[in-house]
Order: sequence, then structure tokens, then C-alpha cells
Amino acid sequence: MSLRQRLLLLLSLTVAAAVAAVSWTVLLRIRHVFEQRDQEETALFVSQFQREFQHRSAQLAAAVDRLAANEHARALAYQLDQTNDASPFLTEAASMAQDAQLDFLEIVGPDGKIVSSAQWPARFGYPEPAAQETGNEPFLKREELPDGSTALGTFAVRTIDGAQPPVRLVGGERLDQSFLADLPVAPGMTIGLYTDAGQSSASANSAMPGTSSVNGIAPGSAPPPFDPSRLAGAAGPIAGAANFQSLIDAARTSGQQTSGIVNPSGPAGPREASLSATAIPLKNQSGNVMAVLVVALSRSGMVQAQQHIRAIAYGVAAGGILLAIAFSLWIAARVSRPIEQLARAAGEVAAGNWDVHVPERGHDEVSVLAQSFNHMTQQLTSQRERLIQSERVAAWRELARRLAHELKNPLFPLQLTVENLARARQLPEAEFDEIFKESTTTLSAEIANLKAIIGRFSDFSKMPKPELERIDAKDLIARVASLYATAAATKESKIDFETNVDPAPMPLDADPELLHRALSNLVLNAMDAMPDGGSLTLSAHPKGDAVELRVSDTGAGLTPEECERLFTPYYTTKQHGTGLGLAIVQSVVADHHGSITVESRACIAESQTGGGTTFIITLPKDSS
Amino acid sequence: MLRRSAISFFLVFVGIAGWARTRPHYGGTLRVEVAGDGIESPVLHLVFEGLTRTKPDDTLQPALATEWKSTNGDRRWEFTLRDGVTFHNGLPLSADRAIASLTKDCNGACPWTSLRTQGNAIIFASDSPMPEMPSLLAEDQFRISLDNGNCGTPPCSVGTGPFELAGQRPGGFTLAANENYWAGRPYADTIELVTGRSVRDQWLDLSVGRADIVEVPPEELRLAQQQRMTVLSSPPVDLLALEISTNGALANQSLRAAISLAIDRAALFNVIFQKQGEITASILPQSLSGYAFLFPAERDLAKSQDLRGGLKPPTLSLGYQGSGSMQLAAQRIALNLREAGFDVQVTSASHADLMLRSIPLASADPAAALESVLRASGETAPLAAISPTAVYRAEHDFLDRKTLVPLLDLPRACAVGTRVRDLMLGVDGTPDLADAWIEVTP
Repeated sequence: MSLRQRLLLLLSLTVAAAVAAVSWTVLLRIRHVFEQRDQEETALFVSQFQREFQHRSAQLAAAVDRLAANEHARALAYQLDQTNDASPFLTEAASMAQDAQLDFLEIVGPDGKIVSSAQWPARFGYPEPAAQETGNEPFLKREELPDGSTALGTFAVRTIDGAQPPVRLVGGERLDQSFLADLPVAPGMTIGLYTDAGQSSASANSAMPGTSSVNGIAPGSAPPPFDPSRLAGAAGPIAGAANFQSLIDAARTSGQQTSGIVNPSGPAGPREASLSATAIPLKNQSGNVMAVLVVALSRSGMVQAQQHIRAIAYGVAAGGILLAIAFSLWIAARVSRPIEQLARAAGEVAAGNWDVHVPERGHDEVSVLAQSFNHMTQQLTSQRERLIQSERVAAWRELARRLAHELKNPLFPLQLTVENLARARQLPEAEFDEIFKESTTTLSAEIANLKAIIGRFSDFSKMPKPELERIDAKDLIARVASLYATAAATKESKIDFETNVDPAPMPLDADPELLHRALSNLVLNAMDAMPDGGSLTLSAHPKGDAVELRVSDTGAGLTPEECERLFTPYYTTKQHGTGLGLAIVQSVVADHHGSITVESRACIAESQTGGGTTFIITLPKDSS
Repeated sequence: MLRRSAISFFLVFVGIAGWARTRPHYGGTLRVEVAGDGIESPVLHLVFEGLTRTKPDDTLQPALATEWKSTNGDRRWEFTLRDGVTFHNGLPLSADRAIASLTKDCNGACPWTSLRTQGNAIIFASDSPMPEMPSLLAEDQFRISLDNGNCGTPPCSVGTGPFELAGQRPGGFTLAANENYWAGRPYADTIELVTGRSVRDQWLDLSVGRADIVEVPPEELRLAQQQRMTVLSSPPVDLLALEISTNGALANQSLRAAISLAIDRAALFNVIFQKQGEITASILPQSLSGYAFLFPAERDLAKSQDLRGGLKPPTLSLGYQGSGSMQLAAQRIALNLREAGFDVQVTSASHADLMLRSIPLASADPAAALESVLRASGETAPLAAISPTAVYRAEHDFLDRKTLVPLLDLPRACAVGTRVRDLMLGVDGTPDLADAWIEVTP
């Protein structure tokens, strides 16, 4: 990954992370604020509900008080006591309830049995347990009705004034949608009342049917199955009531206020439709849950705000990333491009092209680096040129030395021979003839030697370019082996000549003659390195995309100096030799885009000697 | 002397004036209010007549038939039609028209096998004896009517009664005196019948003089008397009974018996019907049959539960006819049955598993009355004999099936305004308006 891409990624991640962190924090805060607001509104509504409930309860108690105190009720109680005949009063409760505008009213005699019931006239004579409620406070009760349904209501019990034995009035008002309609509802708020169907007393085993049910759901007990149709708001059934089941059941079971998120459209519905709902259990005096008040506040505002913030966050993040891209482009222009140029230039320098110049812009660290780089390449170039010149001088010196050395050997006998001839002129003709004959022979031999020396130098100077053709390394090894194996075996100190060639094809794009010459040089050197005999091994093995040719001997190995100057032209350790053999080998290998290395103990560590020498030529395989 | 003559003259004058005031007067409009639609009665009684009729003193008298005789062991009856009787549209009464009406009336469930004319007589024939045929023909079901042709203009049927339908309007009828009535023109010129009026409103109208005759339901009798209304009440003439279906779970007779034992008649009598009428477990009241006490009327909840056993019948529907006290009675019965382990839902539907009905006892004759009740319950076979023993046996056998549970015998009553004179109740408890007249205040 380039610097520019890394910078871009880093900047983008930084922007995105910053935006995400800010957005998350803001979203969390918004949610907290909205939830707090919902809680406050819910608490406010609950307190309003409780106030309204208490107000209505007080009104109910006052109405029942008035009924109990009025003359008609007292007269009724008196007559009831005198005649002990409740039959004339069958319809009294209905008319009294109508006058007092009560939904429920029962007149209960001293024996606790109903004298007259407004809501269920046929229930006369049956006991009314609610009349035994001793407290003065109104209470919640579920009242059974003739049609089998039940209704939740607030009830108050009062004894008719002056009635002895006591005759009681049990009056009540429905707690239903009309009650909800009177409650102040904030915008976006939905309220509902869930009332259980009630435990039916009309069971086959009931001993006291017709008695109004004062039961509710005791805390911890299993509530009756949830019925969505029994959750109603001020305007009627609440849509999606089934989705409130878990909340309402939790309130019914625990008897505690329960809050949660409800989506009337179902779990897969849009978030905007979700509601922050609170279920408040309404209990009777025994602590049993009689009904559940549900207060739900729309979360659409919060959801919309969150969505708005998310959209802004996405926009900011996108903008930030675009800015990051722009910034990275600018960074690229200012920073990474010069660095890339430097990197490319460094690569070219590594590849050998030292004549590289990078532009110097500005005055920052990058321009200082560019200046330093340019200076470095200049120094390298000049130093290389100096090195080349010095090597060239060294090579010329070496060549001159070697020439002087090589030429000196044959020239000295030539000089002596000529001087002998000059002196032999004084000798008799027969002796002169003999000396002349010997001298001419010597002169011819030395001149031939000179010619050979000059010929070798000439050959090295005009090393031909390789004429490439497809060959196999196996064939190359075989040809060299066939040429030198016999000679190695017949030497006075026998040399074991071995070949180790991989059976797989090892195609090379090479000049067979030049490679043969190079290998021949290495073989000859190896044979020269084992004057007392030994073992010479020629091997060829594929090595990846290359072929490795090895010439190993078991001679004395190389010295540290030899390791250092091995491939220097004209460097030789032989008594007789031009020192061009390995240079020729190196030149041929280089022309074939290969490499040559040597393995010998001294070449690895200066302190080591012996162990033989192995020359390794690595040539690229023929790509076709 | 002169003083004695003046006093005598004054006493004679007062006497004559008093006598003049108590004599029936023709004229005036009787204003009658009812809670129902008025079709059943009194319109029925005033406009249509039967071949025979039962007077308020429970005697059977000729009406459109002047005489009758039976032969072949009461298997054949011959009724001779009265001459000179015309329908309200002027057409004379004939045997053919009477037969057409009777055939339409019984709608294929006739107690006789065949019907034919013989001159001005009608011959009834049956495979089994029909000893109660004269009483039977006095019932409302067999009143003679004549279709009035195209019923585009009401009335659709005309009768021969003392009054004819003169007009119909929303909320009432106007009946005009039949000038040519065979028994003599009734006293009142017209009768204004107001229908669909609540009992409370009727009483209010009576109190302010807007009504002359109003209804008094049995449960309101005591209240009406307490309010010093002039009340005419009949002996128990309506049988309040619970009909039990034999379909579904109720095909089990034990369940039906359990239902009959679970009902608390005392509560119905004492409270709902304010101790009016009689508690009964028989079809015929004690005053009519004399053996009603043989049918036990006490509630036995334990036995009812035993009879039900472990059965849990499905929810039963309990319907009722009428409103007010009938609805209340139905609700009370539903509560009673719940104690016995039956789940009962009260409904206003006309068909239900249990139906609370008021069955009129249209005859003062025990056999005829029983036969009419059995016929109303779907029993078409006439009684084989009319002896008390046979009547008891027939009633016992029928009640043993537990398809009809008698509960109360209830009277009928009406309250009368100050203008009305000589009003009596018929054997079925309906006011006999034909003989009533109006005291017109000078």
C-alpha cells in the first residue's frame, strides 16, 4: 500500500472515527434526553390520572353519601326494617342510581344480601361481599353484568343514615373509555386501559354465582391469557394492541409499573411508529391488579431526530472523507510524491542508474531529503567514476605488470640467446653453428611463447558476444566431461571425475561454445588445484527459474586474498598463467545474465582454509 | 203540605237525574293505551269474532254460531251459523267464508280432520273425539275473518265484531262502532287505541285524563292499588312457563329435569311479580283444575345438581317474550341455573334453547285450556277424554317430558279512568270494551 493510500486511509478513518464518536455521543444524549422527557411526561400524566381518579372517587363517595343521607333512602331502610319485605324495593336501586347519575348501585340489606341492584336487578337475594368493605375510601372492583361481561369500576360503600340494622348502599362508577376521555392527554401520547375479563363466577362449581367479583390478579400469580380486544383507549380499541402484551403481562404479574418500547406495527414495523410505553397496574385494596393503565408516548420525534443526526453524520463523514481525499491528494502533491520520487530514484540507484535527480521543492524536510539524495547520487556518480578510473588504472597497472611479467620471461632468454650468439661469433664455426642452432631454437620457442601470451591477451580483449541458442545443461556437462574425464584419469595423480546431472530438462538460452569455454576454464583450474589428485565433480541442477552449474574440487581451497581477487583480470596464483581464465568465465556468465560465486572456507571466514572449492554458475532458464 | 210536596218533588227529581246518569249512554270515544302493538288484543276481540265466545263469567255462549251439536262420540260437530251477520265490508257471513277463515287460522295444524259446509252449517269431523270443540272455537286463534281483497289499502282483513277498523296510523288504531252489529251497536262511537306506550306513560295519561283504559302488568298491581287507581284484575289467566328445547344437549331428559328443579319460583313470585298470581308447577291453575297441588313447585338445587351429574353442557341460550318483568325473570332464571352448574346466556332472540313465555289460558274449561296450551306447545292431538282424571293424566304425562316448566299463574289487569262504566274483563283477562260506555260530564 502506497504512502498516499495509507495517508488517505488514515485520514478517512480519522474523520470517520471522529464523526462516529461525535454522532454516537449525540445520539446517546438525544435518546437520554427524550427518554427523560418521556419519563417526566409519563410521571406527570400518572399524577394527573391519580388526581383525577381521586377526584372522581371523592365525587363518587360524596354521591353515595348524599344517597345514604337522603330521606328516600332512610324511608326505604325504615320500611325494610318494619316489613322485612324487600320485594317492593326491587327497582329502587335503578331509580336512585339514575337520580345520582351512578353507573352501579346496590342496596344491601342487613343480612348482606342484595335488596335491589341497578346493574343486575335479577340478583336480588344474593350476597354482596363488597358491602362488607369496612373502609371509607373508594376502591376498585370488577362488577359482573347480566350479559356475562364484567366492568371495572370505582365503588364506595355507605350505610344509610340512621338505619338499624344497617342497610348499605354500594355505589360505583365505571372506569372505562369515558374516564380516559376526560384525562388531559399531551400531543403524541396514547393512553389505554386494559381490563381483564375477570374471573367468571358463573362456573359450574361456583357456590355463590352472581356475586360480584372482587378478585384481581394477585402479584406473582399467572394472569389470564392476554386479550388484545380488552385494551381500549378513549376513542376505542387501540391499534396493534397485541404488541403491548409483554408489557401489560409484566405489570399484571409483578404488580409494578413497567416500561418498555412497543411498536404497534409489530417487531418489523418502522421505528418511527414505536412508542415508549409505561404500564401502570391499578390495584384494589387487597393489592390485586384489577386493570392496567398504559401510557405510550410516540418516539417519532426522537427517531426522526436520530435519523436526522445520522444523516448529518453520514453527510459529514462523507464530506470528511472527500476532504480527506482532497487532503491526501494535496499531501501527495506536497509530501508523498516527492517521497515517491525519492523512492523511485533510490530504486533506480539500486538498479545501477546513478544518474538520477529528484526535484527539490520548498524548504521542508522533504526538500532537504531531496537535496541530500541528489548530493548523494552526485557523490556516488563521481565516486563511481573515480572508482572506475582507479580500477581502470589498477587494471592497466595490473595488465602492465602482468605484461611485464609475462613478457619478461620470454624476453630474458631472448636477450641471453642473442648475447650468446654475439659472443659465439668469436667461437669456431662449428661451435658457432651449434650455438646458433640452439639459439635459434630457443629464440623460436620464446617468440612462440610471446605470440601465445599476446594471443591470450588479444582473445580476452575481443571476447565475442554470445550467440544464443537453446541448449540443455545436461549436454553442456556431458561435453565438458567427455573432454576432460579421460585426461583427469590418466594424470599421474589420479583425479576422480564425476558428474551429477538432474534428469529433468534444464533448458538454457546460451552460447554453447562460450559456456563450454567457461566450464573448461573452471575444470582446468580445479584440476590444477589438485596436484596430488582428488575428486572433481561437475553437476547441474534446476533451481527455480534458474539452472545451477557446479564445479567442485577437493583441493586445498582458496586463501582469503584469492577469495577477494579471484575474478580480477590477470590475477593468478599459477606460475604460468595469464590470470584471465576466471575473468573470462565471469565475462561469459555476465553476458548470459547469470552469476558466479565461489564456495570455499576462506571465502566464508578468513580464518578458515582447506576443504576444496566449488564454483557455482547460476544461469536463467530458457523462458520459452 | 206545600213543603212536603216540594221535598217529595225534589227527591223524585234527584232520583230521576241519578237514574239518568247511571243509564248507559251511546257516544264518546274510549281511549285505550297498550304497550304492545295492539294487534293481538283488544283489536282482535273487538273486530273479529268466533263461532262461540266465553263470557266474563266463564260461560260459553253462541256468537257467530247460534247452536251446535255433536255426534259419533264427539267426532262430528255441526255448528249452525247466525243469520243476518255481515262483515264490516258488507259481505254476508257464509259457511264457506267461515271455513276459509278457520282453515287459514289453523295453518295445517287443525285439531279436526275435515271441514265442510252443510247449508248454513259447518261440519267438523275428526278421527278422535273432540269434546272441547265449542270451547276451542271460542279461542282467539279461530276468530272468523275475511280477506279484504287487495291489501294495498288497509285493513287487509275484516271481521264481524262490534267495532271495525276505521283507521291506522303510526302508534295506534281507530276503531269505529259497527252500526249493524248483530248483537246491537256498542255504546262507544269510537275507540282510539294507542300502541307502544310504556306503562309509566300510560299511567301518567290516565292520571291526567288522556287515557281511559291502561294496562297494569301483574308486578305493578300492588303499586297501582297503592296509587289509588281503579284497577280491574282477573284471576290467573296467563301461565308463565319455561319451554325447554329437546335439541342438542337438552335431548337428555335428565338435564331438562335438572333445569326444572333449579328454578326458584318463590323469588319470581315474591319479588319480580310482587306476589301477584300463584306459584305453580302445573299447567292449569289450582282454581281451574283443583289438582295443581299435586305438582311440586319447590326448588331442589341438590337434586338438580345430582341430575346434571358430571355433565358440562354447553352454554344455553335463554330467550324471553316481552320486556321488563319478563326480561328480569329470564335473568333470574339464568342465575338459578348457574347455581345448578348450567352456563346460561340471556338473549332477546325469538328462538333459544330455553324460552320464557307467557301462555294465555284462553278457556275457563280445564280440558279446553289444557288442550290450548298443549297445542301451543306443539301437541296437535286432542284430549281423548275430558274427565278430571283424564285431564290430570294428560297434563302429568306432558309435564313429565320436561319440555315445559310451569312457573307462575299470572293475572291480567287494567286501570280504568273515571269516565268508563261497565267495563269487565273477559275470561282471558282482556277488557270487554264492547259493553263499556263513557260517562260524559255535562
